[in-house]
Amino acid sequence: MYKLIVVGGGPGGVAAGIYAARKKIETLLITETFGGQSIDSSDIHNWIGTKSISGFDFAKMLEEHLRAQDGTIEIVDGERVSRVEKITDGYRVSTESGKSFETKYLLITAGSHRKRLDIPGGKEFDGRGVAYCSICDAPLFGGKVVAVVGGGNSAIEAVIDLLSYATKIYLIHRRDALRADPVSQEKIKSDPKVEFILNSEVQEILGNEDKFVNSLKYKDKVKGEVKELKVDGVFVEIGSDPNTNFLKDLVKVDDSGHIVVDHRTQQTSEPGIWAAGDATDVLYKQNNISAGDAIKAVLNIYDKLTGQNREISKL
Amino acid sequence: MAKVKIYSTPSCVYCRMAREFFEKHGVEYEDHDVAANGEALKEMINKSHQMGVPVIDIDGQIFVGFNRLGLEKVLGIKVA
Repeated sequence: MYKLIVVGGGPGGVAAGIYAARKKIETLLITETFGGQSIDSSDIHNWIGTKSISGFDFAKMLEEHLRAQDGTIEIVDGERVSRVEKITDGYRVSTESGKSFETKYLLITAGSHRKRLDIPGGKEFDGRGVAYCSICDAPLFGGKVVAVVGGGNSAIEAVIDLLSYATKIYLIHRRDALRADPVSQEKIKSDPKVEFILNSEVQEILGNEDKFVNSLKYKDKVKGEVKELKVDGVFVEIGSDPNTNFLKDLVKVDDSGHIVVDHRTQQTSEPGIWAAGDATDVLYKQNNISAGDAIKAVLNIYDKLTGQNREISKL
Repeated sequence: MAKVKIYSTPSCVYCRMAREFFEKHGVEYEDHDVAANGEALKEMINKSHQMGVPVIDIDGQIFVGFNRLGLEKVLGIKVA
């Protein structure tokens, strides 16, 4: 039985693994891949200490740092956790491929996944013009007209990835202003290829006889009109859903499925389970914050393991 | 040995992960850049009925995306 199992290999999970290894906590880290959602970012500019790094190199850097903690941490990668059960003295963690492991304490840094476009045509045209990875699929839209749906940093990044290929990019956002960092917004605002369609909701994706996207319908919320736009592709960046289905019955989650934690210790409603990063009800989903919060969790777990129960004053 | 083809774009991270996986395990593969090669793109769409990359063809078995466990199984790669 392990003392600690960390679920997830994004910045939170890796930070937790490194701290746990240095504290010599017998730890197992289980992850499908390293790097978290940033892996398909073309350029990360805000990972502190690094001016600019691609998502791919970011993932490599995290994995290498974790694997450098030789001998003190075990790693199972390529596996997705499918279930957590309570057992005497701890928890049993099972993976989709049928492996299972037992642990005294558990830290969930499972992150989140991109929200899918849940409108008519969204599923039907997934991979047939509706795309979720701009860095992967932007090169296939050379000379085409595309729409990006969303208003956060990821949406802007998708526009930037598409600028070298598409002839026209519509950025469709349901609010009256984008939420992305001003620095990112400035990069695309003056580009003549980019057209902003604000206060608008995409309602339907339509296709041609070959079942590939050829237009979309959106509702202008100010005028109340539904308009059709000819597009060959729709890149979706409308936020994310937490990866918490595998333990929803065990810990308290909020209405959107995020794990509710005590933000001073990262402890969940279940005394032996901690959580950090995008899977939690943290207000800001950021790589740096996930790493910091996961470290906080490991330090608190270490306190518990060593009997150093720090006094936490009630607010 | 299995005949392995990957349909990719130059910037795609999951394509890079797949290529590195093949190289690590000494699997020979043909790489087709579908952004530069329209014929390869058509072939990829015909095989996978979609246009997301990567698409990996192992002796006619088609994988969309990089699914390490699936590839290990089909290629008979044993991981310690």
